[in-house]
Amino acid sequence: MQFGVFTVGDVTQDPTTGRTVSEAERIKAMVAIAVKAEEVGLDVFAQGEHHNPPFVPSSPTTMLGFIAAQTSKIILSTSTTLITTNDPVKIAEDYAMLQHLADGRVDLMMGRGNTGPVYPWFGQDIRNGIALAVENYALLRRLWREDVVDWEGKFRTPLQGFTSTPRPLDDVPPFVWHGSIRSPEIAEQAAYYGDGFFHNNIFWPISHTKQMIDLYRRRFEHYGHGAADQAIVGLGGQVFMRKNSQDAVKEFRPYFDNAPVYGHGPSLEDFTRETPLTVGSPQQVIERTLSFREHFGDYQRQLFLMDHAGLPLKTVLEQLDILGSEVVPVLRKEFEAKRPAQVPEAPTHASLKAAAEQARELETVSPEVVGLEGTR
Amino acid sequence: MKERIIAVVTAGLTVPSSTRLLADQLAAAVRDALDGRGTPYKVEIIELRDHAHDLTNNLLTGFPTESLRKVLDTVVAADALIAVTPTFSASYNGLFKMFFDVVDDKALAGKPVLLAATGGTERHSLVLDYALRPLFAYLQANPIPTGVYAASTDWGAGATKLHARIERAANELVNTMSNDQTASVDPYTTPTPFEDLLNG
Repeated sequence: MQFGVFTVGDVTQDPTTGRTVSEAERIKAMVAIAVKAEEVGLDVFAQGEHHNPPFVPSSPTTMLGFIAAQTSKIILSTSTTLITTNDPVKIAEDYAMLQHLADGRVDLMMGRGNTGPVYPWFGQDIRNGIALAVENYALLRRLWREDVVDWEGKFRTPLQGFTSTPRPLDDVPPFVWHGSIRSPEIAEQAAYYGDGFFHNNIFWPISHTKQMIDLYRRRFEHYGHGAADQAIVGLGGQVFMRKNSQDAVKEFRPYFDNAPVYGHGPSLEDFTRETPLTVGSPQQVIERTLSFREHFGDYQRQLFLMDHAGLPLKTVLEQLDILGSEVVPVLRKEFEAKRPAQVPEAPTHASLKAAAEQARELETVSPEVVGLEGTR
Repeated sequence: MKERIIAVVTAGLTVPSSTRLLADQLAAAVRDALDGRGTPYKVEIIELRDHAHDLTNNLLTGFPTESLRKVLDTVVAADALIAVTPTFSASYNGLFKMFFDVVDDKALAGKPVLLAATGGTERHSLVLDYALRPLFAYLQANPIPTGVYAASTDWGAGATKLHARIERAANELVNTMSNDQTASVDPYTTPTPFEDLLNG
């Protein structure tokens, strides 16, 4: 199982000091978080993509390329890549380039983006969100898998004899996750292609998230990619930890109460009861995270949102230390002990490359096998 | 015969409230009409006041609490809806609108609805037609022709006429309901097949 962090990249005032970091500080903080994530033994760093303030990460492959140069093991991913408003040709090229630079340590999570005004800024309309996600992704897959593409669709200029460059590293396209909070069409899309499905799982009750994941698993099996329990599931979560539970609650409360998304709404107590947010001791985080498995089945990737609500970088790095030293080692052991043999790990560049080589060998070997059978 | 569920949503702010009183009388009239037809039924009364904080939180967080979700599920699954609001500043009150802002905008499509309102003076009676009716038109619900408005005077000398309107509306609601047999499709159980999405 993979463990990692995902960041939205918001610039939010620290409500305890009134200080708001600059864009420069925030961007460098995101890099520091990624480097720290590798240092404390996490497997994945994923970043959002936004084109409106107060968010800074408009250019994910620039940032991920920079992080790739400063790390050597961690998988670089997105949360999410806007499949609706980005040109699929640019996504194909940018992420293939990143794949080469990062020696294959790259995957992506596709998302639609829910900010209405962003769509027209890129010549699109949010009402076509699902249709854009479907058409653009179908093209993206072809651009990574076919050397020369002739294509015509509704949303972009037709392509004749087009080759996306560079070609994916080792001719293995990056693994793709599809992220959606509430659209059954996206769970269906992930299932159709046998791609991964990620639920951010941070603002919604378990009952809702379970409905989406169950649908994805059922349809993954329907489309013949394996049994429902072999589908590739990722989940988000958000935590704040201190050695003593009361200290965690006391320190995090002002951040919660003023957070851009849920601040000035439900109480911290109500929100932790209704959603996966866990504020407490490392042991409480371990127990809560293990409980996800009871609800959603064995899954492949757990990402934590750690740098939210205006928390200062120093605190976030302390949180990563606790996560890496006290929480994830226990989770790795417990999840691994409970995972049945037939449930796969999340695909990586190495595993996809090995699978592709095996498939090619089978293709070249099979005529001989048929021939041998004929002589018997 | 299948048991019919009648949901009554009432947005009165005081306890007791004249809005709740009107809601109860409408519910009683619908009970009488269903009894007359021998239809089994259950009436679920929902006081929005009890869910005011959860409604605010839902607007801020984007999801309902466990207890609010049960209320939303009840209203969406009901065979018919009675919606009653006090008149505030020439319209339904904020609590009433918050509830229907939180209901999924397709969830009430085709649902028979009895619209009702209370107010201090009969001069507000058209609130049913210029405020409530457009809201339920947007939600693609099926509001019955008769709406019931009760002003303060209707609880005294006007009561006979009010009762006649209540009875007429209750009968219309029950008649509309019996014609309505549409079952909605749950997209999480029965998704649109991906080939259909690919073909636009």
